[in-house]
Amino acid sequence: MREAYAAHAAELFGFAVRSLGDAGLAEEAVQETFLRAWRAGERFDPQIGSLRTWLFAILRNVVIDLGRARAARPGVAEGGIEPSVEPFDEALLAWQIEEAMRRIGEDHRKVLIETYYRGRPYAEVAAELGVPEGTVKSRVYYGLRALRVVLEEMGYDD
Amino acid sequence: MTTEGCRHWKESLGAYALDHLSADERAGVEAHLEGCARCRAEVESLLAVSHLLPHADPERFGPAPQPPAELGRRVAATIRAERRSTRRQRLRWGLGLSGAAAVATAAVLAILVLSSGEGPGPEQHVAFRSLPDGVKVAATLEPQAFGTEIHMYVSGISSGTLCRVYMKGPDGTAISAGSFRYRWGADASAVLSAALDLSRARALVVHAGNRTFVAPLDHVATTASTQRQEEATT
Repeated sequence: MREAYAAHAAELFGFAVRSLGDAGLAEEAVQETFLRAWRAGERFDPQIGSLRTWLFAILRNVVIDLGRARAARPGVAEGGIEPSVEPFDEALLAWQIEEAMRRIGEDHRKVLIETYYRGRPYAEVAAELGVPEGTVKSRVYYGLRALRVVLEEMGYDD
Repeated sequence: MTTEGCRHWKESLGAYALDHLSADERAGVEAHLEGCARCRAEVESLLAVSHLLPHADPERFGPAPQPPAELGRRVAATIRAERRSTRRQRLRWGLGLSGAAAVATAAVLAILVLSSGEGPGPEQHVAFRSLPDGVKVAATLEPQAFGTEIHMYVSGISSGTLCRVYMKGPDGTAISAGSFRYRWGADASAVLSAALDLSRARALVVHAGNRTFVAPLDHVATTASTQRQEEATT
């Protein structure tokens, strides 16, 4: 469990903060996730999926339970968590891509942000970075490839 | 198709997958894709990635929040506590003692496990506000015939710190609930009791070393939910 914590706690926590919007609640969620994982330790089967996928599945239930517990305590519930599953999956997808973006090189991330998310022309981005336009184009290509590799490493499967 | 030709086109495939090419450039790439299975496969996989991009929020590409170092210790302590208590529970059952002891052990766990969906019980969770960074103090209060049972959870303060716990009555008098010593890495929870009815308690006070933490008790919320239940039954 110690190794599992070292390998996955940061990721689970990062996602829990994004999903719950509160660092204190995220700590609770991560603690409860590892406790449940420890209790169900014998049921973990590496044949079925990775440890990471299993921990995220447990976290998903914890987040839903936290939402229910909040809703059941009218005095305590403030800006409650949506207890439905749909937003969780959407948030998990978003978080995985954001995490992958953090892991690729700065140069690659930069051109993807400027050309894709900000919709700026390649020539403008090239001038700002002081590189030929062809370089921006090739960074977009290698950036997308790097994203694909990182997502695979993270265990993303579509 | 020659490798030389692929190298020329390949670097445009990213912009192609993102639909960033002019009509002319697009036509050029598509003409090449017609005759090049390798580049077609490459475009397929780049398109799969490009379809994911709209799901992400570029405002969140900065460094991710890291869990506090202390969380790892707390997880380890929680698991140790549960391992110990399940052993103790088995021992008690084995000796033929009443289930009440096991129930008491389970109650200690309630604070560690938080609410895992069983719904609100009669116990009251207490949050201490404005704690220093890294310090966690929490408690669960349970009404009992003798007064109030207090399950304390503390972490992040120096090991060996003496913690004295009081409950404040309606007239402001402090009623002692006992004391415990916080040991780093050991069981972070303690069970205490005070001879004051939970319904009459105004606050829970913890003196930890030279620091004092106060949690005002909010009976308003409890009353409101009771009223709501009464309305529902009539």
